[in-house]
Amino acid sequence: MHQYSNHARVAVRARNLIKRYGDFTAVNDISFDILEGECFGFLGPNGAGKTSTMRMLSCVSPVNGGELLVHGKDVLREQRRIKLELGVVSQSDSLDPDLSVLQNLLTYARYFNMPRRLAEERAMESLRQFQLEDKAQRAIDELSGGMRRRLLIARAMLHDPRILVLDEPTTGLDPQARLLVWEKLAMLKARGITILLTTHYMDEAEHLCDRLVVIDRGDVLVEGKPRELVREHVGEQVVELRVNPARMAGVAQSLSDEGIEFEHGGDSLYFYGKHGDSLSEGGKSVNLNGYEMFRRPGNLEDVFLRLTGRGLRET
Amino acid sequence: MTITTSIHHTPVARGFRVWQRNRDAFTRGWRFEVGGIIVEPFVLLLGVGFGLGAYISNLGEGVSYPHFLAPGVIASYAMFHATFDAAYGAYIRMETHNIYESILYTPLEPEDIVLGEVMWGATRGLMSATAVLCVAAIFGLVSSPWAILALPAAYLIGMTFSAISMIMTATARTIGSINNFLTLFILPMFWVSGVFFPLDRLPEVVQSAAWILPLTAAAALVRGLFTGDITPWMLLWTAELMAFMLGGLWLASRQMRKRLIK
Repeated sequence: MHQYSNHARVAVRARNLIKRYGDFTAVNDISFDILEGECFGFLGPNGAGKTSTMRMLSCVSPVNGGELLVHGKDVLREQRRIKLELGVVSQSDSLDPDLSVLQNLLTYARYFNMPRRLAEERAMESLRQFQLEDKAQRAIDELSGGMRRRLLIARAMLHDPRILVLDEPTTGLDPQARLLVWEKLAMLKARGITILLTTHYMDEAEHLCDRLVVIDRGDVLVEGKPRELVREHVGEQVVELRVNPARMAGVAQSLSDEGIEFEHGGDSLYFYGKHGDSLSEGGKSVNLNGYEMFRRPGNLEDVFLRLTGRGLRET
Repeated sequence: MTITTSIHHTPVARGFRVWQRNRDAFTRGWRFEVGGIIVEPFVLLLGVGFGLGAYISNLGEGVSYPHFLAPGVIASYAMFHATFDAAYGAYIRMETHNIYESILYTPLEPEDIVLGEVMWGATRGLMSATAVLCVAAIFGLVSSPWAILALPAAYLIGMTFSAISMIMTATARTIGSINNFLTLFILPMFWVSGVFFPLDRLPEVVQSAAWILPLTAAAALVRGLFTGDITPWMLLWTAELMAFMLGGLWLASRQMRKRLIK
């Protein structure tokens, strides 16, 4: 397990966590610690167990085995107390279409028993922060996708929770809207909020997360800081080779015969570390003329695909 | 910055938050619903009460048919409005708009949502009952001051049927199952619960069966209050409605937890 200094306090502690739906094991004996004030990412393909983990720690899905503590409180015993300290943005768009933008916030504040005057002040301030103040009286269906997502985050933060949980916060957003969401999350992180997020955008994880776990089929594959994971599993540089699909099998075979290791995905071959070096230095008997080859920095996507395989995942 | 938030201490306080959400949504769109609350019972009283009623004379004791029918309409419209909201309305809030999901990420739990929906469904029932009572008063059908107690009775009736409907909402797989609940249970009950005719003309067996239906107790209770014919039986009818309500709340809460927390 990861080493960290003694004064850092644990926001979420999971030990041997298990979640089953009937015969299907969605989360299989995973353990992790999330520290207060850090941004922690859960990466993994669809069906990896990310959302199940998020739901368990948000107290809307019972734990079937192991232990899960949020600020030291057991999710199976102190649901209401834990939920008071959590802000959750789930994948589904759960804004209330029967209410205005402002009413969405005020209604949510009431669930937390926030005094009315305070809720109104807080809601207006929050609309300003999330650049929605001129939409206060609008209906929800008049908002763009990016605005809706910002409003969901504003709603989740209204009661000033210490932990913000986001399940794929930018899926389906255009690049501008995405950057704006990132900016708001950076702002919250600067305020000391612990942020937990799932994503399958690797650049998002690299940009936002202090630490992350890659999970697949309910297991944690690796845990660490994004840059360190890239260095450890991919190296600084990656060589990518585009191959005519019709000749892919032949090229792959020749490279294997040369002892060069690579990953195969789509119409490309990927070479890491010394295997990339030996390929780009040339001098090999494999004829690669006419193929597009380029060198680029390794990124989290390479780690992810190396660990979970480049094959299409449909569960 | 510190924000004062806390957990509500009683189930009713938590349910009230859900009630407030529904009230706000209703207030935003009430213009579109108010017609249904007044027009339909008005037409029913006018058409069936006075139209069909002109051919009905042997109710005894100088009771006119509209006079007999009006309290039945109060009880059954309290039932309808509560049922529609707690069945279709709640199902759409839950499945289409994900409102329950967003509530579950706050200190509220499925049981609180069910109670809040039942409190709101009863409010819809009360609104309808108030409208019918006013229409009946305009037609000159209200003869006893006890009739004002038909309103709290309507709230109880609304809670009873909302609670029963929430069992359906919590277990329905599609909106079609809710259609079945209405066409196989609520609507047939409307015809055999003493709303349109006194049950004492029916065969003994059918009568006993009809008295098990909650709408029979509801119609009898409102009729007694409406006409000022106060009897000890009213305690039994009230108890029957409360028993259905508590049973419904219990089962709906259980099923709702099963559905939402998994």
